[in-house]
Amino acid sequence: MRSIPGIGYLLIALVLVFTAFGSGFATVTNGFNIGVQSSVLLLLALPMTLVIMSEGLDLSMGAVLSLAGVVLATLLMNGRSLPAASVAAIAVGALFGFANGLLVVGLGIPPFVATLGTLGIAQGLALVITGGQSVVGVGDALPALYESRPLGLPFSIVIALAAFLVFRFTFRHTPFGAYVSAIGGNRESLVLAGVKANRYHVGIYVLAGVMAGVAALLLTGRMSSGHPTAAIGMEFDAIAAVIVGGTSFERGKGSLGGTVIGVLTIGVLKNGLNVLEVPSSLQVASIGVLTIVALVIESILEPAARRLWRSA
Amino acid sequence: MRGISKAFPGVRALDRVSLTVQAGEVHFLLGQNGAGKSTLIRILCGAHHPDEGEILLDGVSARLRSPADARRLGIAVIFQEFSLVPYLDVAQNIFLGREPSGRLPGTIDTRKMHADARRLLDTLGLRLDTRVLAHQLGIAQQQVVEIAKALSQDARILVMDEPTAALSDHEIERLFARVRALKAAGVAVIYISHRLQEIAAIGDRVTVLRDGRNVASLDAADATVGELVQLMLGRAVETTYRSRFCERPGAVMLAVNDLSADNGMRAATLSVRAGEVVGLAGLVGSGRSELARAIFGADRVVRGTVLFEGRPLAGGPVRAVRAGVGLVPENRKAEGLALSRSVQDNMLLAGLKRLFPSGWYRGASAVRLVDNVIARLRVATPSRERPVRFLSGGNQQKVVVGKWFVAGSRFFIVDEPTRGIDVGAKAEIYRLIEQLVADGAAVLMISSELAEVVAVCDRAYVMRDKTIVGELVRAELTESRILTLAMHHA
Amino acid sequence: MKRLVFRLAAIATIGAALSVTTESFLTLTNLLNVLRQASLTFLIASGLTFTVLTAGLDLSVGANVGLSACLAGTVMQSTGSVALGAATGLVFGAGIGILNGLMVTLLRLPPFIATYGMLWTLNGVTYWFMGGDTIHGFPAGFRALGSGYWLGVPVPIYLMAALLFAGVVFTRYTTHGHEVFAIGANREAARLSGVPIRARLNLVYVLSGAMAGLAAIVYLARLNSAEADIGEPLTLPAIAAVLIGGTSLFGGVGSLLGTLIGALTLTLVVNGMNLLAIDASWQPLVTGVIVILAVWIDVMTRRRAEATI
Repeated sequence: MRSIPGIGYLLIALVLVFTAFGSGFATVTNGFNIGVQSSVLLLLALPMTLVIMSEGLDLSMGAVLSLAGVVLATLLMNGRSLPAASVAAIAVGALFGFANGLLVVGLGIPPFVATLGTLGIAQGLALVITGGQSVVGVGDALPALYESRPLGLPFSIVIALAAFLVFRFTFRHTPFGAYVSAIGGNRESLVLAGVKANRYHVGIYVLAGVMAGVAALLLTGRMSSGHPTAAIGMEFDAIAAVIVGGTSFERGKGSLGGTVIGVLTIGVLKNGLNVLEVPSSLQVASIGVLTIVALVIESILEPAARRLWRSA
Repeated sequence: MRGISKAFPGVRALDRVSLTVQAGEVHFLLGQNGAGKSTLIRILCGAHHPDEGEILLDGVSARLRSPADARRLGIAVIFQEFSLVPYLDVAQNIFLGREPSGRLPGTIDTRKMHADARRLLDTLGLRLDTRVLAHQLGIAQQQVVEIAKALSQDARILVMDEPTAALSDHEIERLFARVRALKAAGVAVIYISHRLQEIAAIGDRVTVLRDGRNVASLDAADATVGELVQLMLGRAVETTYRSRFCERPGAVMLAVNDLSADNGMRAATLSVRAGEVVGLAGLVGSGRSELARAIFGADRVVRGTVLFEGRPLAGGPVRAVRAGVGLVPENRKAEGLALSRSVQDNMLLAGLKRLFPSGWYRGASAVRLVDNVIARLRVATPSRERPVRFLSGGNQQKVVVGKWFVAGSRFFIVDEPTRGIDVGAKAEIYRLIEQLVADGAAVLMISSELAEVVAVCDRAYVMRDKTIVGELVRAELTESRILTLAMHHA
Repeated sequence: MKRLVFRLAAIATIGAALSVTTESFLTLTNLLNVLRQASLTFLIASGLTFTVLTAGLDLSVGANVGLSACLAGTVMQSTGSVALGAATGLVFGAGIGILNGLMVTLLRLPPFIATYGMLWTLNGVTYWFMGGDTIHGFPAGFRALGSGYWLGVPVPIYLMAALLFAGVVFTRYTTHGHEVFAIGANREAARLSGVPIRARLNLVYVLSGAMAGLAAIVYLARLNSAEADIGEPLTLPAIAAVLIGGTSLFGGVGSLLGTLIGALTLTLVVNGMNLLAIDASWQPLVTGVIVILAVWIDVMTRRRAEATI
């Protein structure tokens, strides 16, 4: 939860490499590009950090995002107001989050299988509602909101920034952050301390679902349409960002700031590869490799810390 | 605590035990392994419910239905495995679940939390940045944080379980100073330790348990080490376990020289000859299981050598098993058996390579062999297909030993072979061990039951503080000598 | 044994329900089709079963099939040799399996994360390699492997039977098979019994990859084409088949026969949905629900078992 080690350097290294080899990379416009493209991912990666810190995983985020986007677009297309439709989209996300929480905490189903199942369900629902087609005709309200520039910054960056600040504040200045770390690091301690750990544990998954709904707002606004497979695979980017950012799968180690850097790293990687005209499919592969590299580094550094702990 | 009794399936852990502790007193709780200390403590902290008896706090009867109840009544326990959350800082750990509220509803007053934490640590004489994460602390510091945690809950009774087990002399002195400060503040401390010399340093009163019963309660000033040892041991048990001891041992089978491993044990040197049953005695935490695991290759060796039948034994369990060494682990359910698998599958596991070197598993010969071993060891099971989890403890143990039979082991390392087994089955296990060595094998037996060591072993090594401190040959092998070696701190 | 009977009863029930509610279910053509489809799912799920038996998982199987099929198809078309293409697919699939195994044994990565990373990496490479193109048009002889009949029975069924036979031999009649079960049931006890853990884990992941390679060839033959996304819808049904078949995610319990029954059950459900003219979009949803139900039963069973210890 403190400082950010090598990954910051990785980000800097990537920036330097792309600046050197890619023309047009190191411009302000491109910087904003990266920010805008990364904002949706940040909205997903922030709650994913908490999920992973609690020794869990949420593979359904991409599918839930797509579903929420489809619901949003359909409602807008049918003439509903933007606020009402937005609430509905977020509610969809929350519902799936709650389902995930119930499965993992209530029934004891391993998180990756539980969320794999809800992934299928969300994906299926999105396909059924849309018949596989995009939902267009969302009106002007949402795209206008998306294009707006509050405080002179692109809307999506503002939202992402706001989300980060809210998360950070909650994490540091309410017990929530400590409880999340305890659920992953020593759940029994938390229960013995009289805290209702189950409630917080489910809450983490609900939060993930809610953020998927919020992200749907952005994505649908950007594309001016809702598509059932719009965000498939985004959970993978989110997981990669969290891992690269230094959050670990056990013991409750995690950092929101690290996740931000992880998201930026992936954003820079994708953008830079684009500038170098590397096909987007290889970009996905490179993120996969990046994740594995981050995991390996993590597993090399960890045993050293673990030996100190085990000698208790 | 008055008249506390508690029974578990097959074993009567506590029989009308009483414990009286005053405020501001450091009360030592002594007893051998299995005497009932941990059960009593668990009842005190609300983790178990007594079958009969009552707990009185300040003369008022207390119902402890859960650890939370105990906590609320001011009872705090510091176990050997600490309960800190690794990636939270010191202040967060101390106040977990009881964080001071900030101005906005739901927020924490972080500054106050850290200030309060620092104040607690100062009381205990530890200067530490409260923002350090728990996993970065040394063991002694973690312990102080645990104590601070207890104090922050206004603990009036503090139980400490083997607090000095992992501390250096210097840190022990500092701990004693803190304990004295707690005394002065009126906290009652229940102190479990095997280091009898600590009684003289900080003890006020001593209670000794044996076999789940009270033996004595006396003032620390009146207690001598010899007397306490006698009280813990009680009368020598009558039954002879072994009919014939090894007169002429064969060649050296196992030779361990200056062995140190990454599990903490160090500088162990011992040897075992064919036909011998050699004991490895000592108290809990003395490093015996660690030594066994190091010899077997289950943990990594960092120094020294192990020679089996003249050849170096290295490279992990795979090599050890192939060479003819078998390990019957202390925790047979977690490490010795696959509970969901059948008696047959469990028995054959270690011997698969030896029996079927080509890799082709021939069911018929497997069945014959297993039936043979089941008969020989008298394993009580309706069929060889029965999942091992349904067998009694004694029979489960026989399956584990049977596994090494089938594997053709010539050297058996057995770790607490009769723990949790009824008397009848125990006798059978001893008979088994005797049979093994009669056939030319050798056995290294770890046991916390002194009577068992004396009655079954030809000789014994004694361990203390993760290293071997002495060897007792047949003539010298008595319970009190073992216990003295195991506890004496020069 | 009891569990298998229960599952067979479930199939019979579904079959009965479908014969009553639709006209075309109980026709020979349809039943053979169901068997053919089930065989294809089983090919993938069989290797996966071995990894699950060790309390691991191979999430990359679908993507593996996709890329192996594309590679095999490309080699077949450019060299004109079916054999070479098939060999490429098989070797590549097994190679991915080796990489997965190394990530689990050498790098000590949790299997689901390692294979999840591999899944996306393979996906990306497949898309890059194919670049949106489709390969199609393979020799009739080859196509028979996936679409053809022999003695009136679809060819893949023979493969399924052969694979089942080989799998049963492996699990019952080889020491390696027994050790795989032991590792899943209690890894530490197996280690302390002298079982070479890393070697066996590598083995199951290689098997999983090799089966994916084999499945890729058969899929290629059946579809008579290959494009980047053929692997995507394959992972979830394979996992569902394994779970429905009674192999526990926690390791040590399960069978290939169970997986086959699981594949059959799943295919029956999908077939039923098709015959009842339910939109194909519902299939991922139904599969998702089935997976959750199957896992829940797995968790419940384990809890009940542990309570008796």
